[in-house]
Amino acid sequence: MTGRSDAPPPGPDDGSDAPRSDPEASSRLARLLEGDPADLYENAPMGYLSTLPDGRIVKVNRTFCAWTGRAPGDLLGTRLQELLTVGGRVFHETHIVPLLRMQGAVREIAIDITRIDGSLLACLLNAVELRDDDGTPLLIRATLFEATARRRYERELLAAQRLAEESEARSRVVQKVVFDLAAATTPEDVATVIVQRGRAAMKARGAALVLVEGEADDPRGVPQLRPVRSDGLSAGLLRRLREAAGSRLALELVQGLRSIVLDARLRADQPDLAAAMVADGVTDLVVVPVSADSKRLGVLVLARGAPGRGDLISLDEPGSSRPPSPAEVDLLWTLGRQAGQALERVRLHEQTRLQGERAAFLLEAARLMADADDVSETVQRLAGLVASRLATVCAIELVTEQGLTRAVARHRDGARQPLLDRLRAKDALLRSPLHPAVRALREGRTQWMRDREEVRAVVDAVAVDDEFRDLAEQLELTATVSVPMVVDGRRLGVMTFAGDRQRPLTAADVEVAEQLALQLSQVLDKAQRFELEERTSHTLQASLLPPSPPDVPGLDTAVRYVAATHGVDVGGDFYDLVRLPGEQVSLVVGDVVGHDITAAATMGQLRTVIRAMSADGPPPAVLVDRLQRSWGLYELQRMATALFATLDPATGGLRIASAGHLPPVLCGSGRAEYLPVRPTRMLGAPPVPAEEWAGELPVGATLLLFTDGLVESTGADIDTGLDRLLEVAAKACAGDPGELCDRLLEELTGDHRADDIALLALTRR
Amino acid sequence: MGSVVARNRVSVSGVPGGRPLVFSHGFGCDQTLWRLVAPCFADDHRVVLFDHVGSGQSDLSAYDPDKYGSLAGYANDVVEICQELGLSDVVFVGHSVSAMIGVLAYHRAPELFGALVMVGPSPRYVDDVGYVGGFSRADIADLLDALDSNHLGWSAQMAPVIMGNPDRPELAAELTNSFCRTAPDIARQFARVTFLSDNRADLQGIEVPTLVLQCSEDPIAPSPVGEYVHRQIPGSELVRLRATGHVPQLSAPEETTAAIRAFLTP
Repeated sequence: MTGRSDAPPPGPDDGSDAPRSDPEASSRLARLLEGDPADLYENAPMGYLSTLPDGRIVKVNRTFCAWTGRAPGDLLGTRLQELLTVGGRVFHETHIVPLLRMQGAVREIAIDITRIDGSLLACLLNAVELRDDDGTPLLIRATLFEATARRRYERELLAAQRLAEESEARSRVVQKVVFDLAAATTPEDVATVIVQRGRAAMKARGAALVLVEGEADDPRGVPQLRPVRSDGLSAGLLRRLREAAGSRLALELVQGLRSIVLDARLRADQPDLAAAMVADGVTDLVVVPVSADSKRLGVLVLARGAPGRGDLISLDEPGSSRPPSPAEVDLLWTLGRQAGQALERVRLHEQTRLQGERAAFLLEAARLMADADDVSETVQRLAGLVASRLATVCAIELVTEQGLTRAVARHRDGARQPLLDRLRAKDALLRSPLHPAVRALREGRTQWMRDREEVRAVVDAVAVDDEFRDLAEQLELTATVSVPMVVDGRRLGVMTFAGDRQRPLTAADVEVAEQLALQLSQVLDKAQRFELEERTSHTLQASLLPPSPPDVPGLDTAVRYVAATHGVDVGGDFYDLVRLPGEQVSLVVGDVVGHDITAAATMGQLRTVIRAMSADGPPPAVLVDRLQRSWGLYELQRMATALFATLDPATGGLRIASAGHLPPVLCGSGRAEYLPVRPTRMLGAPPVPAEEWAGELPVGATLLLFTDGLVESTGADIDTGLDRLLEVAAKACAGDPGELCDRLLEELTGDHRADDIALLALTRR
Repeated sequence: MGSVVARNRVSVSGVPGGRPLVFSHGFGCDQTLWRLVAPCFADDHRVVLFDHVGSGQSDLSAYDPDKYGSLAGYANDVVEICQELGLSDVVFVGHSVSAMIGVLAYHRAPELFGALVMVGPSPRYVDDVGYVGGFSRADIADLLDALDSNHLGWSAQMAPVIMGNPDRPELAAELTNSFCRTAPDIARQFARVTFLSDNRADLQGIEVPTLVLQCSEDPIAPSPVGEYVHRQIPGSELVRLRATGHVPQLSAPEETTAAIRAFLTP
């Protein structure tokens, strides 16, 4: 445009003068303003519509007809709803109709009118309802403004808002995941969080976290995959997924985020997986790598598909699958990394915890071994402890006279123990040189079968029959470690741990097994030595004591010998009862100093000497003097105390002499007393003449000779023990010497006897 | 106690000892939709009205997107309302999506219900193989868009007024389109839940008298859908109303009232 910048633009008619100055213009304006209202209606810059309450159009202006490209004749009788899009129609029914009816008007309703050519006219609608006096609706008057630009702007605004909301929603997902993962303490916890959150975020039908077992970068080959947690996936699909993953997919799976679509190619390549997907209504699997730094730990698998019962219908056409959007891919990568880092953290935590657990375990095992009394009990309890706390199976084999023999085999799961027992029955004697236990013992080195294949190979090699193989297979062991127990070159046995999927064996477990085997081998060694010695000394002592006292007319007699409960120690306690010529009997109870084989041997010799010297029936004091004087001749290595007596059963005449021994008890009729026998020095000490006590054993009374083990109970002094003895004897002395002995042992000695006890009791009839 | 009543803005009127009629509004507006019908039963029934959470004057803070991500969440509320009021032998009158909410509530606590009245029900809006719901997926996508367009208007124009001037209630009174007002995100989710649910299987096992009210020329729940519902519920009664559209309780309250009354009168 050129010309005068200060001049108004030329008017539509002729002049550039102000209208006020032109009467013709004024009248024209007046004409326009007062013009035909019908023209204003018809050509107003907005659409006018009048409809009946049901929406039928009864009046419409030209503007609306022009906008929609429809002739008035087409529109009259048509329902307004029919000009709307489907969405608009629903909005009309659910919002506009009720609003008009309830409040008589609607304002600024966004609505799209379908033009005759099918295109849409974006409008804003205002409407009022006209009613009669009763409130019955008569007519609806509506105005429509074209709002294309405004609506476009609003749509753009909406789209931007949507994007912002989605991004916010994703941030919220990540925040929640981070928050939940912070509380996770086990791989299972991590799996639960990631599976549930990932599934919800992607609205997937199901999800599973599959982790690589062992080291993913193990150069030995394809890593094993283990589903840790799955949600909403059928067992069938999970199995197919594992099978597919276990083969060539295993490495592919962990290489990048990908979508496995149920298509013709998958049907051809992985027919089983494809069939399982079809059966589950899954259309594609989104596989998300789970990694920490560059370490590939596993994958999160999200199964997407048609919604299940109770889910909302998807707006995607059935059978179609939509690849994850870039924003979703971004989210999934983040989830995978978060999960990976959390897994690494809980693994470290788990390792620390396991270390603590192993240390505590070894301590407990040491305590168990220190407390246990005998080898078979120790071995049983130790195997139980290992099976409950450390490995799935613990077996201990011991070297016996028959060779390497299974002592115990325990399974953690009581339900599987019978399998193990049957297996154990089959190779109670381990004969195969290939058996890991046998090899461990032969080579003196730990044998570690690290995986199921190795275990299988060994089972095949040592199997005695098919049942053996079958049993071993059913135990599903994935690893075994056999540690030899050797002390000073002596092979004592083998300890074997076995693990399964639930409780795999790690290098740390092998170390624990070795430490435990070392501890146990020392216990076994000590026990074996101890057992040998104990057996020897007790056998010796038993052979040195008279089997049972001879019958003596007029007397009831009883003898008891009770060994100390603890240790290999064997005492030198003894008793003897000999019938002398002339109806007399000679009695002796003694105690050789010391608790060992020497003491026992000395006792044996001494008893023989005493018997020899008693042959001519010397009075007790004479016998003591003779023994004292001739002590040097016998070359006895220990001193001894002893109480000697002779008794005439017919008269009750009783003579007693003591060589440093505790006095005897006389009891009957509810009373008991120590006979006042004055002891001389013990045998083997420089001789001093012995004194003899003489008295009578009344009919029905009982004489008791005993050694100090009876009154030296743990914790109390000997006087207390002596008093207790009288108390019990007074009550228990009823003419039956055997019963008296038993009552005394029962009431005066506990479960633990520090010393041997010899008792000799006789009652005169 | 009372939290359920406040949450759903439950109002009770009519005869205290009368048979309870629980009116449940559908997607779009709120309990005032029953204004022309419910009072007609107040003389001889106990009349219960309420707003679904997220609609009308319900407690918006009770809106939990997870709970109300399916119709079951709404059905739970219905059961809670009946239990809270100690109702039994309830006649549940559900409009539109509330007809299915009633079905779910019935399955959840059948002992509470004595009869179901379904006004314009549809167990599934989206067509399926061997089933006509009246809408394609694209239609529903269009519908959700249409709702968005209007809710944007709502949020842009109204939200500042409401939020910025809580001390000037006269502004709130000036709001147009007021009783169908819903927060946009809630409305969007309620629309999704309404139009994307599939409750066909839930029609099985209904063992109380059931009335299906089918409008003429209902663009939301067309006649084949009402007939389907009727066929799936053995013993149900199908009444075709002369009223057109989807909201007969507003467009033809007398006819609607008469049909319900006839159904309830032995």
